[in-house]
Order: sequence, then structure tokens, then C-alpha cells
Amino acid sequence: MSTSDLPAIAPARPDWLFRFGVAIVAVVTVLALIGPHIGPYSPTLTTPRVAVPPPGLTQIPGLLWGQITGTLPYPPHWFGTDVSGYDVFSRVIAAPRTDLVIALLANGLSLALGVLLGLLAGYFRNAGTELLMRVSDVMQSFPVFISAMVLVALAGRSTANIIIALAFVYTPIYIRLTRAEVMAQTARGFVEAARALGQPELQIALRHVLPNSLTPALIQSSVTIGFAILLTAGLSFVGAGVRPPTPEWGLMISTGANQIILGEWWPSVFPGIAISLTVFGFAVLGNALERRYAGG
Amino acid sequence: MLSRYIIRRLLIGVVQLLGLTVAVFFLIRILPADPVSRLVGMNASAEAYGQAQRQLGLDRPVMTQLAAYLGLAPGQEAGLLQGSLGTSWVTGSTVAAEIAAYLPVTLELITLGFLFAFAVAVPVGMLSALRPGGRADKGVFVYSLFAGSQPEFWWGLLFVYVFFYQLGWAPPPLGRLSPMTTPPDAVTGFMLIDTLLAGRLDKFAEAAHHLVLPVAVLTFVLSGPIIKMVRQNMARALGSDFVLYANAAGLPRAIVARYALRAAMAPSMTLIGILYGFMLSGAVLVESVFSLGGIGQYAVRSVLAFDYPAIQGVVLVITAISLAVYLLLDILHALIDPRIAY
Repeated sequence: MSTSDLPAIAPARPDWLFRFGVAIVAVVTVLALIGPHIGPYSPTLTTPRVAVPPPGLTQIPGLLWGQITGTLPYPPHWFGTDVSGYDVFSRVIAAPRTDLVIALLANGLSLALGVLLGLLAGYFRNAGTELLMRVSDVMQSFPVFISAMVLVALAGRSTANIIIALAFVYTPIYIRLTRAEVMAQTARGFVEAARALGQPELQIALRHVLPNSLTPALIQSSVTIGFAILLTAGLSFVGAGVRPPTPEWGLMISTGANQIILGEWWPSVFPGIAISLTVFGFAVLGNALERRYAGG
Repeated sequence: MLSRYIIRRLLIGVVQLLGLTVAVFFLIRILPADPVSRLVGMNASAEAYGQAQRQLGLDRPVMTQLAAYLGLAPGQEAGLLQGSLGTSWVTGSTVAAEIAAYLPVTLELITLGFLFAFAVAVPVGMLSALRPGGRADKGVFVYSLFAGSQPEFWWGLLFVYVFFYQLGWAPPPLGRLSPMTTPPDAVTGFMLIDTLLAGRLDKFAEAAHHLVLPVAVLTFVLSGPIIKMVRQNMARALGSDFVLYANAAGLPRAIVARYALRAAMAPSMTLIGILYGFMLSGAVLVESVFSLGGIGQYAVRSVLAFDYPAIQGVVLVITAISLAVYLLLDILHALIDPRIAY
């Protein structure tokens, strides 16, 4: 099923939406590179001011002026501080590095593995690849959240283990996608032509079929990266993810959760807005790529 | 023959479950976590450690442990073949009893969430496919992308802050009933049903009141992908030949839309099954925020405590339910779509 099958009744994707998605992904990438350094405070050190709310709207111009003229006793806490005294703003802009690195590496790993295995399974269809598909099915029938939790908690809560756990979850998807595309591509004429020229099978698979079969996997990557961020945040929220005091949006929401019923909304709301917009940006980007490139 | 298909699927399902159980069994034993030291503490003596290890059965070779778990070593302990899921290393009660207590909570939550999401998503998806490219369609499209990418635990907290703290409309997120209320006898485990069975309409209202926010969160998040899929399938159905013929024959729009809807519903069933399976374990996030005490929270507790039998039990049960749901939806699909004959 590709978008070219759809009649002209497909909805028009508003162009501003696509630009919005690109903008968000760009901002998050920039923050991943420089975020931990540009905040007014260190993201992993506490300040003496505990549970301070963010400044009211009327105070902001005065604070900005004070910041520019350098007359403030300490840099303002734009998003307030949480119950331990961490500056929320500095941690919110430092978190993309944690989340994006995990998401990109996990996606890269599962993409590389999944595409390669999918290529083998789709091109050389024998008993071995059938076994591979059954194993992949079993992997895919693990309940996603629980298997990620089990892998991280039992292997030790480190960034590397989170990446491996996420890769475990996402690889079967790439295997399945690539295998379907490879099977479609193999039926095309250029494979038969290459065989007629006497090229060895493996070379045909790697040289000709593989580059033509990458499109669905690459389009899926954008969405997968977004969901990897959500999964990391969810794992950290229940305590099976990154360790404190690593700045990570899900962890921040979790520590702020206890304070919300007391009315202290800022430690949880700002990281949540950040996740919300970021994953939305990746989803939009993935959707725009799908419309552009999945036409054939 | 539909019945033969069902039997074949059930048999395959059993094999899959077995494979999964063995896989999980080895997986958690390969990982470096040490449940024995978790149980006896850091400062335990070597004898205490050894005793605990014997108690948990971890001193035996792995294959012996597997045989015992599967129930292939009769006369010692009951295993899977005898219908036992083992005993929790944390609480000491049987895993089966604990899962039976926690599972209905989650099932109640997600089933309600799916029902409402379905009730909202199908009309919205259908209407936006009938007026493609319009402003409503674009808005719905953006909404579906947005809703499907949201962290539901954060929205749960947001709802608590707005509807409980600010507006006072919702009860505090302290469980399925108020801590002051004694729950009714657990007949089915579903709070809404049990309160009705006990004849207590006030408790029924209270349980429903406590469910409003968590179900609303799930409905919001689930509506995204369901709307997207309904809209896509509906647009495809509207472009097919039989709709063209119906329009050419002069049938009213409403009737044509109904025909197209039926054609659109069938492929949507698969996605709903996948979402349901995902939500079984994914609902833990919403459960934690509202302290509902469902199987997701049980899974988290078991994982963090390295409670192997409980982990195995949870994975087994959740996968079994997912497979059953997939089968059910495939049957439904076959019933709706006359082109599919097994």
C-alpha cells in the first residue's frame, strides 16, 4: 500500500506544518549539541532556591532588563526550580542531548541490523531466513514496554543498555519493512539483468537491491526516533530508565509528579511540553517524508 | 472453514507462547541482575545467601529450573503444565492470584479507553474523509498526528492539575475508589461491574468518577492513530468502484457513506488489535499517575524487584491476551469482509 494508490481524495498536508516539523527537529538537534552549556545553571547541580515558581508574566521584562544590564543577584529561574533545587530551564534544554543520543543510536542500530537482516530474508528465501522471520515474530510479540523495562532494569540502568533495549524492540519492524520492499524490488528487471551478466548473488543483493530498498526504512526512522524518545521518557518515568540526576524529560516529569497535587506545576509541565512538541515534530517530519518519497 | 482456521491459529498461538516463555526464561537469567542479593540485602552472610539461593531454586542448573517451571518435573513443584505460574519472590502469594487481582483493573481501563476512542474517532475520521482537503480535514489530520505522539503520563498529570487541583471536578488521583470507601467484593475484578453486582449505585458512581480522567487520557492518545487509519481507509473506500457506481445510481450520500464505512472498518481492525496489545503494558504510565493498581504497575514492581516468576507470569499472560485479541479481531475482520474466506 503506497500513497500513489490513493485517489485524489488524499488530504492536503498544510505546508506550514511540514516547516514546523523541520523547525522543531532542527531546534532539538541544536539543543542536543549545545544545550547543556548554554543554560544559566548547570543541569546536574542544585541551587539553594528550592521549589521556586517561574516568574510571572509581568516580571519578565524587568528580569530581562536586569539580565542584560547585569544587575541581578543571580540568573533568573525562567522555568522555576523543582523540589530539590534544580533549575528547570537548564535541565529542560540539556535533556535533548540525553534523549536524542539514545534515540538516534537506538534507531541507527536497529536500522542497520534490521535492513541487513531484512535484505537477507527477502532476497535469499530459504529455511534459514524463514527461521529468522519466526525469531523476529517472537521478538515482536514481546510486550513492548515490559521487554524494554526488563532489559534495562536487569542489565543495569545505563545509557548503553537503554539503547540496546530500544534496538531490540525496533529491529523486527525494520526487518519486516525491508523484507517486503526487497521482495518487491527483486521482482524488477534489473535483478534479472544482473543475473544474466553473471554477477554473484550476494553482490546483486548488496550493490543493487539494497540501495533501492532503503526508502521505507528511512522514512520510518523519523517516526521511530520520536517514539524512542517517548519510550525513554516513559521508562525513566517509572524508574527503569536513566539514572538521576541525568537531565531527561521523563525523569523530570516523574520527580515533579508528586508536587503537582500540591499545585507546583512547573517541574512537570515544561519538560512535558518539550517532549510533546519534539515527538510531534518528528511525527510530522516522518509524515511529510512519507508523502514525498513513498510514491513508488 | 472458519473453525479450522481458528484451531490452526490457536495451535500456532500455543507454540508461540511456549517459545516466548522459554525465551523470557533464559533472557532474564542471562542478564547480570542478581535477585538473591536483592532479597537478602548487601550485608548478608555467605550462608544466608546460599540459603536464599536454594529457596529461590537458583542454585540448580538452568535446564532443571526450566523443567520445573514448565511442570515437567512432577512430584516437586507445580509448573505451567499443571496450571501454576509459580510464587512471587516478593510477596509469597501465587503469581496467578496476583495477576488475577491486577489484570482486570487494566482491562477495564483500556477497554473503556478504546470504546470511547472508537466512538470519537470513527465519526470524525469518516466525516473528514467525506470532505477531503477542507479546513476540518486539515485540522483533524493535525490533531491525529499530534494526539498520537503525546506522552500520556504527562497528559494525565496535566488533567490532574487542571481538573482536580484547579477546578475541583475530579477526585484526587489516589486509586479506583476513595481511600475511605471499602471496595465491594471482587467478583469479576472490574470495579464498575462489581459495584453493580453488590447493588451499590453510590460506589458505582464513585468508581466511574475516578475513571473519568484516566479513561479521558487514554481516549485522547488512542484517538490519534485510530482517526488517521479510519480516514485513510475511508478515503480509499470512497475511491473504489462500487462507491462510484452507487453515486452514479443516485443513492443518497448518507447511504453511500455507510457502505464505504463498512469497507473501511475491516482493515482498521488489525491496527486496533496491535494498539490494544501495546496498551496492555503501556497503560502502566497512566496507572501510575492515578494509582489504579493494574498489571502494568505490577510488572514495574516485579521488574524492579527482580521477581523472576512474576516477570515470567506477566509476560506470559499479557502475550496470551494479545494473541487472543489478534485472533478475535481477525475473525471479526473475516466476518465483516465477505471477500475473506478461511
